[in-house]
Amino acid sequence: MSQTTIKTKLSRRQYFFIIVQTEIGVGILSLPYDLHSAAKQDGWISLLIGGVLLQIVLLVIWLIAKRYPDKDFFQIQEAVFSKWIGKGVSLLYVAYFSMVAMVILLLFVRLISLWVLPQTPFWILALLMILVCLYLASGGLNTMARFYTFVSIFLVVLVAFVLYALKDTQLTFLFPILNSGWMPVIKGANEAVLSFFGFIISLVIYSKVEGSPAQRLRTIFYAHWFVVLFYLFTVLVSFTFFSPVEMSFIQEPLLYMLKSFEFVIVARLDLFFLSIWIVNVATTLTTYVYMTGLGLMDVFNTKKTAPSYMIAALLILIPPLFIGYNMERVDEFNNFVVWLGYIFSVAFLFIIYFVSLIRGSLQKGGSS
Amino acid sequence: MKRKSICILTCLLLLTGCWDTRQFKDVKLVLSIGFDQNDDGTLTETVSIPTVKRSTDGPTSETVQVLTTEGKTPREARDHTDQMIANTFDPSKAKVILMGEELAKNSIQPIFDQFYRNPNNNLNAYIAVVDGKAEDAIRMTPSNESGVSKYISELLEGQINATHSTGENIEVLHGELLEPGIDFAVPLLSIEEEQDMLNFEGLALFHKDAYTGEFIPNHQTTLLMLLEGIRGKLASFTLKVTDEEENAIRNYLTFRVMRNKQDMKVKVENDQVTADISMKLKIRVVEYPSNHLTSKKKIKKLNKKLSELLTEQAEEIIATIQEANSDVFQIGRHVHSYHPDYWKKVKWDEEFPNITITPKVEVDIVQYGVIS
Amino acid sequence: MGFLRNLLGTRDKIEDSSHKGQDQQPNQPSSKKLSENVEYLLNEFKRTDDLKIRAMNNGQAVLMYFEPLVDQEKIQQNIFTPLEMGHVEHISEIPNARSSENLEEMIPTLLRGHAVYMEDGSKTITRFNVTSVFNRNVEEPQNEKIVRGSHDGFIENLMINLNLVRKKIEHRDLVVKYFKVGKKTNTNIAIVYMDGIADPEIVKKMEERIKAISVDMIQSPGYIEEFIEDNPYSPFPQMLNTERPDRVTANIMEGRIALMAEGSPTTLIAPSTFFMFYQASDDYNARWYTGTFVRLVRLASFIIAIGMPAFYIAVISFHYEVLPDELLLPVKSSINEIAYPPILEALIMVVIIELIRESGIRLPSPVGQTIGIVGGLVIGDAVVRAGLVSNLMVIVVALTAIASFVVPSNELSTTLRLMTFPLIFLAGTFGFVGIVFGFLFLTIHLTRLESFGVPYFAPVAPLSISDLKDTFVRLPLFMMKKRPKDAHPLQEKAMGESREWVQHEPDNNKN
Repeated sequence: MSQTTIKTKLSRRQYFFIIVQTEIGVGILSLPYDLHSAAKQDGWISLLIGGVLLQIVLLVIWLIAKRYPDKDFFQIQEAVFSKWIGKGVSLLYVAYFSMVAMVILLLFVRLISLWVLPQTPFWILALLMILVCLYLASGGLNTMARFYTFVSIFLVVLVAFVLYALKDTQLTFLFPILNSGWMPVIKGANEAVLSFFGFIISLVIYSKVEGSPAQRLRTIFYAHWFVVLFYLFTVLVSFTFFSPVEMSFIQEPLLYMLKSFEFVIVARLDLFFLSIWIVNVATTLTTYVYMTGLGLMDVFNTKKTAPSYMIAALLILIPPLFIGYNMERVDEFNNFVVWLGYIFSVAFLFIIYFVSLIRGSLQKGGSS
Repeated sequence: MKRKSICILTCLLLLTGCWDTRQFKDVKLVLSIGFDQNDDGTLTETVSIPTVKRSTDGPTSETVQVLTTEGKTPREARDHTDQMIANTFDPSKAKVILMGEELAKNSIQPIFDQFYRNPNNNLNAYIAVVDGKAEDAIRMTPSNESGVSKYISELLEGQINATHSTGENIEVLHGELLEPGIDFAVPLLSIEEEQDMLNFEGLALFHKDAYTGEFIPNHQTTLLMLLEGIRGKLASFTLKVTDEEENAIRNYLTFRVMRNKQDMKVKVENDQVTADISMKLKIRVVEYPSNHLTSKKKIKKLNKKLSELLTEQAEEIIATIQEANSDVFQIGRHVHSYHPDYWKKVKWDEEFPNITITPKVEVDIVQYGVIS
Repeated sequence: MGFLRNLLGTRDKIEDSSHKGQDQQPNQPSSKKLSENVEYLLNEFKRTDDLKIRAMNNGQAVLMYFEPLVDQEKIQQNIFTPLEMGHVEHISEIPNARSSENLEEMIPTLLRGHAVYMEDGSKTITRFNVTSVFNRNVEEPQNEKIVRGSHDGFIENLMINLNLVRKKIEHRDLVVKYFKVGKKTNTNIAIVYMDGIADPEIVKKMEERIKAISVDMIQSPGYIEEFIEDNPYSPFPQMLNTERPDRVTANIMEGRIALMAEGSPTTLIAPSTFFMFYQASDDYNARWYTGTFVRLVRLASFIIAIGMPAFYIAVISFHYEVLPDELLLPVKSSINEIAYPPILEALIMVVIIELIRESGIRLPSPVGQTIGIVGGLVIGDAVVRAGLVSNLMVIVVALTAIASFVVPSNELSTTLRLMTFPLIFLAGTFGFVGIVFGFLFLTIHLTRLESFGVPYFAPVAPLSISDLKDTFVRLPLFMMKKRPKDAHPLQEKAMGESREWVQHEPDNNKN
């Protein structure tokens, strides 16, 4: 099937939705809670701060990508750090991506188990999820882009659900603003940044998107701010629906607020919300399976797509099986990966950029 | 490869059992639950379980099973119930949760913990306090009503529609239980033994998570709701506007609220909290036998009279609330939000009874029916 | 007539080239001796009895033909009448005669229903086209009836089918290409497309795939479909199947390719998309509001057909909390006394419905009605009374079956009913979560599918907003100025401003 596919570049619309769908994932349900536990009712300010800070990182991403217009992320590593070091760095990234995927898988299954299927064993849910992602990822980036664009319609449904809760919100819960100073807000920005970690996909597939660099930069920013606004909306609704004290108990406010609504034909909107949310998790996880598989292909210089994705999927599936529902270890692992996230999704990007700058000027100097 | 994996998947699905199935036909749905406190501190839980039987063609026959069990905690009482009934107990579709007066006066938060913790529960069950024992209310067999659960929930719904109560469900209650500076009022039901019916007495005022013992009687609940800015489908008052007529009926005027606008201003000056609640009502007269309301002057006079009467009543309500120390207007929350420094300084529980709350009601007759 | 001969010319060319591929072009020069020639042909045809040899000129010449294939009247009219009337000196001068000296060439000719004339002492063999043709009327196809619009349908004769298409598209760009497929059956198949609109890449792909078929027998386009479609393991049909000339011409004009075969009224259209199966000619003949409404109903039926039993099972065996309070007791009372778990109930009912459908489909209509009564009334009612299946489940499954028949395409309808099964299993194991995973697999599959290199789930994935005008809704025709992008048409524009007159008639706006 794949050989008949007319190899085309992704459109910018598809690029937009890939970034959006990758960023919006497991975190969305608990983001208001996480922000609230760090910054109380000022969490939404932290979110905005996080969004603005990431703007800088996105700019660096773009600057890196612009220097290597026809290389994907892992090829850039080799171009920047020379072949073998580059491969090493790529391998580290593969490890990082697969670990993020593991965390997603762990959190996803934990939430499903908590809310709907308490008895179902871990492995079967994890296996189902990873199979879906494998199936999607092995269809190639074009299929993924098409699928992501299509399922974005469900974001509208999610927003509609949450909009329904607006009727019971109280603006007073957002006040007092900045009562305890800026410190908690800055700390909250940390939580906010976490929920955007999917942004690295914009660098990985940058070279596969059509359009001039400026146009692509605009798309990256649009996608980023779309996600920021989407998060902001959910956070604000949660914060005004639940009172501050209540917020500190409720881990998945978006689900919790939908529990009491009843329509003529259905009740318990949270179950439907959760079902749609699974789609968002699947898209996020697929992106990580894809990135892991792509990294493996580049590192081991192979063109065999199917086995690479399969290895990537196994790599992601097996370790979580040993962690399972053990909340403590999930949290430990999660914190570890978040820490890695700062290194790989933020700090290392700057390193890559500066090394490439230095090499660039050296080469220029050498040639002149 | 794809086919192989599909085969494996299908086998897995077929071989592994169905872990989480909860067959709807195998559960005992509990639609109303009542909690009472015993003298020794244990709980009595009363549940009503409707069982429906359907002959192949005929109408469904519904029998209601009422069980009472004791336990140290709600969950233990529930387990005891479970040991008595066939199949399993399921409160996830509970419509009504009743609390006995004794329990309500103590603390209600522990009762509800199980509902919040379990993801299966619908959080839209109505809650009410029963004057007496909740068990008696649930054991009632109201004639002409299908099932006690349906009866109570529809009774409460009727009160919401008639602007007598807020429609307090467990979800809304959660925030109010936890948040300082917000108190709430819950419908208070009394049992009329002779008619085997329940009666809506008024709104029981809560402070923190306990019933204060004070309640707003049912003729004032509509005004309380309107002062909070809540209006159901229908809000009507019957007020005595004059003493002059001989025929007693002619002294009264009944009106319906068409539109209400409520505004609360909370000020903190010199560490003194004042709250002004102003409300504008546009009304339609639905019964007023003494006058045809043709003159503008008469209407103006009536407007003034009604405003006065309602303001007076509002003052009464506020006095009751402050006496009960039940901050149903959420003034505390306002202070917390907009005057955080003051909030930190004082203990709101001690402060609330002493603050000044001034109500002001303005009434404007805009319609007077099809005759004039 | 002129173009027909032209067509015949092309056919021979392709025929030759395809023969080349199969074996060396057979050549058996004819002999001067009549008996040798006759003997050769008789041997080649294994002395079959229906090969008629008619002696003429006192045994100096013979006319050979397959008796069942020729029309005796045509022989009389085309061969004997001119001879008797004395219009021609010799038989080979008759206008529709063609001569050759290759005996081997006569074999397919005879099989096509031609008559062969041979004379003693002459190497020349003359042949005449005297094929008899038996045709149905071009009546409306049974399975694609419409209310308004043209009521003709394809029949089993390729030439007549092409005639119907040509009549509807009178343009020089309409190209027909012939192929012979099936080593033993030698079935004629034709592809039809608009040159200059259809994507040459796709045409090339189609030709390559048809030429690659190497089988003894081809019976119908359904046969060919499996050889040339992109993904034979997919449950979804990847080529649209129709017997309606208007549907075929509309699709050809969108830049798609039609594939027809001799002996079958079914025409395949490629590349096709999922949503094409939901379009019916009626949509375009009705007002666009009604067209839109009907199409929305049809698409909703897709969800109902595959998701409804699964949803019901998930609700009553996992998530009964989603039932609103009013429904709670009615639902409970109807399922309380049922012996089997819902998943088994659903399977029983779905299988029963399939049985009823399958048994009724081929029976003569009087008996078919009996099946309907026995199946629908007796079983449906009795099964509920017996307490094996709840009446809600009967409603759900019946609704599902009805919804699956709403699809205008029979293929897709069968597919849909098949797709319910995995979803039922998933719903019975994981509830809503299972359904979501099922739908995820399904949509991913649809997104991955391609028909001749063209995405199958277009215009939804990949999204093409302008093409949605004719997907979920049916906007007025004058708003669909461009051809759908999914078929990669070379010429995008399908119409110009057709309602400019509105501006010239200012009064119209007022009224």
